[in-house]
Amino acid sequence: MFSNLTSLVQKAQSLIDPTQALNISASDRNPAKSTLFRHQFRLPDTQTPLQEITAELTISPPASVAANATQGEKDRDRDRAGYHYAGKLHLSESYLCFSTQPTSFLQTASTSTSSGFTGQTHGAGPGGNGFTLPLCAIRRVERLHSQSYQFALAITTWNGLSNASVSEAAKSTVHQQKLTIQLAGTRQACERFCDGLKRGLKSGVGEVGKLKRVVAECYSEYLLQGEGKRIGDPPDAGLGMQFRYPGDARKLRDRSKMRLWGEYLRDNGRNVTLVRQPTFHKLIRVGLPNRLRGEIWEQTSGSLFLRLEQPSLYADTLTKFEGRESLAIEEIEKDLNRSLPEYPGFQSEEGIGRLRRVLTAYSWTNTEVGYCQAMNIVVAALLIYMSESQAFFLLSTLCDRLLPGYYSTTMYGTLLDQRVFESLVEKTMPILWDHLVKSDVQLSVVSLPWFLSLYINSMPLVFAFRVLDVFFLEGPKVLFQVGLAILRINGEELLDAADDGAFISVLKSYFSKLDESAHPKSENAKLRAVTRFQELMVVAFKEFSGITQNSITEQRMKHKDSVLNGIESFAKRTSIRNLGPDSKRLSVDDLGALYDRFYGILYERQQRDQMIKEETDRRAKASRAKATEVVTGLGETQSIEKGRVGLGPSPTLMDYDGFREFLAGMAKWATTDLPTPPEKVGDNEKHSYFGSSMKRRESSLSPWGFGNPEPADHEFMQRLFRRWDVDMNSALTLQNVVSGLAHIKGKGDIMGSITYFFELYDDDGDGKVDREGILRISEALLFLSRRGLEGSLTPSSSMVGLSEYEAGNGARVDNAMVTTNERFLSSVSAFIRRCFEYADPDHPQNQTEPIEAVDNGAFSIGEDEDEDEDLLDLGDDPDTKSAKKAAELPAVPAPSDQPPNSDGQRRASKAHAESANAALDPSKPLHITLPTFRMVVLADELLEQFFESSFPASFRISDKLISASATNSSSLTTFSNIGFGRSTGPTSQGGLGGIGSAGVVPPGKGLRGVLDNIVTDGMRVAAEVRRRMDEAQKELEKNAVHRPDEEEDDEEGYDPPRISGGYDGDPERRSVRSEDRDLLEGADAEAGSVKSPEGVSTVTQTGLSPLSPPETFRPRTASTATQKVVEFER
Amino acid sequence: MADSTAAAPKPSSSVKLVLLGEAAVGKSSLVLRFVNNDFQENKEPTIGAAFLTQKCNLPTRTIKFEIWDTAGQERFASLAPMYYRNAQSALVVYDLTKPTSLIKAKHWVAELQRQASPGIVIALVGNKLDLTNETSEPADPLNDDGDADTTEGDDSSGDARKISTAEAKSYAEEEGLLFFETSAKLGTNVTEVFTAIANAIPETSLKGARGPGATQAGAGSGANDQSRVSLTGPRDNASKEGCAC
Ligand SMILES: Nc1nc2c(ncn2[C@@H]2O[C@H](COP(=O)(O)OP(=O)(O)OP(=O)(O)O)[C@@H](O)[C@H]2O)c(=O)[nH]1
Ligand SMILES: [Mg+2]
Repeated sequence: MFSNLTSLVQKAQSLIDPTQALNISASDRNPAKSTLFRHQFRLPDTQTPLQEITAELTISPPASVAANATQGEKDRDRDRAGYHYAGKLHLSESYLCFSTQPTSFLQTASTSTSSGFTGQTHGAGPGGNGFTLPLCAIRRVERLHSQSYQFALAITTWNGLSNASVSEAAKSTVHQQKLTIQLAGTRQACERFCDGLKRGLKSGVGEVGKLKRVVAECYSEYLLQGEGKRIGDPPDAGLGMQFRYPGDARKLRDRSKMRLWGEYLRDNGRNVTLVRQPTFHKLIRVGLPNRLRGEIWEQTSGSLFLRLEQPSLYADTLTKFEGRESLAIEEIEKDLNRSLPEYPGFQSEEGIGRLRRVLTAYSWTNTEVGYCQAMNIVVAALLIYMSESQAFFLLSTLCDRLLPGYYSTTMYGTLLDQRVFESLVEKTMPILWDHLVKSDVQLSVVSLPWFLSLYINSMPLVFAFRVLDVFFLEGPKVLFQVGLAILRINGEELLDAADDGAFISVLKSYFSKLDESAHPKSENAKLRAVTRFQELMVVAFKEFSGITQNSITEQRMKHKDSVLNGIESFAKRTSIRNLGPDSKRLSVDDLGALYDRFYGILYERQQRDQMIKEETDRRAKASRAKATEVVTGLGETQSIEKGRVGLGPSPTLMDYDGFREFLAGMAKWATTDLPTPPEKVGDNEKHSYFGSSMKRRESSLSPWGFGNPEPADHEFMQRLFRRWDVDMNSALTLQNVVSGLAHIKGKGDIMGSITYFFELYDDDGDGKVDREGILRISEALLFLSRRGLEGSLTPSSSMVGLSEYEAGNGARVDNAMVTTNERFLSSVSAFIRRCFEYADPDHPQNQTEPIEAVDNGAFSIGEDEDEDEDLLDLGDDPDTKSAKKAAELPAVPAPSDQPPNSDGQRRASKAHAESANAALDPSKPLHITLPTFRMVVLADELLEQFFESSFPASFRISDKLISASATNSSSLTTFSNIGFGRSTGPTSQGGLGGIGSAGVVPPGKGLRGVLDNIVTDGMRVAAEVRRRMDEAQKELEKNAVHRPDEEEDDEEGYDPPRISGGYDGDPERRSVRSEDRDLLEGADAEAGSVKSPEGVSTVTQTGLSPLSPPETFRPRTASTATQKVVEFER
Repeated sequence: MADSTAAAPKPSSSVKLVLLGEAAVGKSSLVLRFVNNDFQENKEPTIGAAFLTQKCNLPTRTIKFEIWDTAGQERFASLAPMYYRNAQSALVVYDLTKPTSLIKAKHWVAELQRQASPGIVIALVGNKLDLTNETSEPADPLNDDGDADTTEGDDSSGDARKISTAEAKSYAEEEGLLFFETSAKLGTNVTEVFTAIANAIPETSLKGARGPGATQAGAGSGANDQSRVSLTGPRDNASKEGCAC
């Protein structure tokens, strides 16, 4: 059996694997040198290639071993007798590695140096022939003089370390493992290498303790103590020790395998000190003996080195998370009884307990993977041959390296490898492939479990373990080779299978007969002795020797995008479907676009974080490298793709900064006015879903991404964020965002829009917005409109306003220069005036409340200091108290009762205005209610249009924003740009000066000054409006009482007639309303009748001297307007 | 098989059926009960999907179910489209002792209604009826002892039901689904589900069996004639339309 297989196997294989890029997510098209290095030698991620040098390894033949022979002369003699391997010697932080396999990551690597010594697994094993030696396992290094080389090193290892410490007697039997390595290179290079090695050895000294501990758990140590001399219990070699190993030990020739392994390990080192020679690979191919299986698995896969790094990680993890619960644990519990139930060990509490602990511990250390069905089966299988701790580390090697992405939450690795497998079938067995396609057979139904559970529940266990033996040595390509071989061997029968069922049953019956003869009818007894499984192995590794890690990697690259896209579109579909009832208000297209935007932002942000981090790391590393004069050769060129939805758990929560960025991508008002870094010209990909941000890697490390405008940070945005954050997480889910937008955009009616806005400022939800809130609303309106408004706001020509009248005293502004946007400013100022005029005084008992509420609510986010001062102005404690007292007096007049400021006061100083003005008097708290707010908004055609269409439309979900002009601050429409408020001059608390010129609408004092001023000036006018308005309102309320059935419909009750047809039958009311409306129109913004050319923004800087009075626009010419104003003045 | 007892060959057609539902609700167990009239306490989780076939004899025709039993864990969901592609019927299973499983079932129903072939016949199935104390059939004493699940899962009341029949039923009616509560363990209602689906498949959407290779496929199908007889025996008189599989 041995010879037969061996000879066949020896003929197989001739290709070299230049890369071993296993992990597609970490190493994309251009796998980093260090990744390749780690993969080749199965090293932990902490290791990087520091030095490498061409070398020849000489291993003394066992016979010539003498325990104390350390002299150079003797060594030189043995040089001629031992095995020689040409290859490369590598040094990392804590490992010395040798491989005959050309260093796959070097362009200059040549195969010739190692061609003489390539074993069967050539090009795929852990670095071919050679070793991966932890520096702490090196006992001593001597420098020898060599005839043919500059340098030679004799390395003595801590082989048999554990028993050496156990007994002196045993020591003499311990083979002193000695490796001779001759370095080929310039003297300088050799010296440098030796220096590096020396440093490494020094720092490795501290690790010896760990090494002892780890090695003690290896069965080989026990085995090599020799029959009869063994002390203590054998190390845990899995459940098999207790519940028997699967299969018939005799049939498996377990004894003779053990003997062969004993010899090999004695001569070539064990566990960490093991040297791979061709026999090693052969021994693995014929199947590992039960008690060594686990150890060799962890050695060949490299999980042993992970364990060496953190020997107590497994136990620590279990302790740390003891008693904690998680979704993964819930899922694990479901499957514990369902893992290899046919194996007696898993019908016992012992086995189940081990399985539970390993799976649970792993789910804690890798929360991204957590637990995936199939892991239970794989781990159960591992636990038959290894200890819990060994299985734990091997599982993590599986998930991180060998089966990248297989068990992730999207299982992209599984899907990808299925695609790769299909394409390999198509390539290698085109006829079968055609047949599958024609008969609509889903290949992955059979092949997916092969890969996902490593053939464990497809084949009888004994054979699955044989596959695993090779798999851990040679890597994932083995799964493909075996899969292809299965199909090839069954090709004929599969061609007869016409549907999935038939296809599956052919394979099922094949697997059940793997132990039978492959050629039962053959005359040749030798051939008859070949089992189907042996045949399978030969076909897999001979006929499909062309399947290398490299070709797999290539195929993965080719299919990766389409697989990820498939997963992502599935995820998107599912996610959109589950967004809850609010999502129905938005179109499917909008939802799709929102989804893309939302996750696009999260992805980009994560990418940027990653890049910034990497960059910092890189810089830190570079400086360190320089300091230690380490030669690293190639730089890191890793590209990390974490965060992509298809790759697994990706962020799902958007924090406030992400929200700002999100808004900035949709709404032009949401980008900051501060100058942004130079634009990237014509980058149309900016908002494409997962547009490659790799390219921008080198560029700026701005937290907003290169060239992206920085999002604004306005109080309004904070309010919006808090409003949408219904779960109070300080973070939004996609569902939050969709609901939030659905309420703004989805309703499509103005009343909803107005209500929404009002509620945004009604912090305590009592239906009132106080003085502070009114000012904040105004600020928000200005903020939202400063880059112009969405859609064309078209004030009707009949609109005439008070402001005309006001403007009579103001600066002369050319009519032509008054744009809609600027007129909107006037609307806002009118809005403030009216708000204060129509505001209700707070009820004496309640009067302090709203202020406090604002105090808590609005300022919890952390405003600037200015704001706080401002607030104090309004709600100073003593003031408030006195106000309260005052209010308790029976006859405190409401603001409306107070005589409005006399005409002459309009130009009075601010201080004067405030003292005389009830609306601004902090001792007279006031508020507006939703109906008032509504009325005030509806009183202004521009504001009405703003709420009806412009505001909802300013969130552009589906279409792109052209941000270029938006970032140009000179085009902002603000009071300060136009010249509003300059009049406040020196008396206006000085807040305005610096800000105005920058074109910024500050949330702070400056604007507040402007607003106060407007309010003051508008008071007299507004008082009159208010009086009339009150009358109208009383009238309305009266009517409302008459219609008890409509009590719910406040909105309708206050609808202006032109919107609501509901009051047609009530002439009296209508008349009131229209009167009211006239009035309102009369009081309206000056903007009304002037149609001026759009887009003249230069007005902002011209025509107004800095000290011009606050009234801005010249009077309108329409005579009717004048008429009304005059009438009003009386 | 049952075919042999039929007087004349009836028209036979194959119907693709997919099983969906949260992990460990008992999808595979339902299939195993239907196909082999068997039950395994510790059934391994389905990895990816399993494929089985079983015939169902209706008075006028024979339906051959091509059953795709899928994996239930959430992360396997993205594989599902591969399996429900072209399915004419679906069994969406929940565990009536686990509220979350009904939520998951609703997601599947929505997914199928949006993505699967139009006109797909969907049955909503609440499994593990034996864990409630209102099982219509007397509990089999053989099943009762040695059944850790039942004793563990049950409160002292003996009723682990968390989802009322009315709740699930009204949802099923809303969505136009067939609805059953079953026990794969005892066999309650299992054949009935498949029969009901077979009856609900519109005649027009039936196509012929796919080929000669299709007849005896599937895990162990055909190996259990005996058990099938015992399964259908007592129910034969109850319903002539019953699935004589
Ligand atoms: N008491 C009871 N247990 C059941 C019933 N059906 C299934 N089970 C048990 O529930 C567990 C899961 O059953 P499976 O059939 O494997 O569930 P599944 O839905 O196929 O699970 P996945 O393949 O992981 O999606 C097993 O332990 C079964 O024994 C039932 O009707 N009653
Ligand atoms: Mg299953």
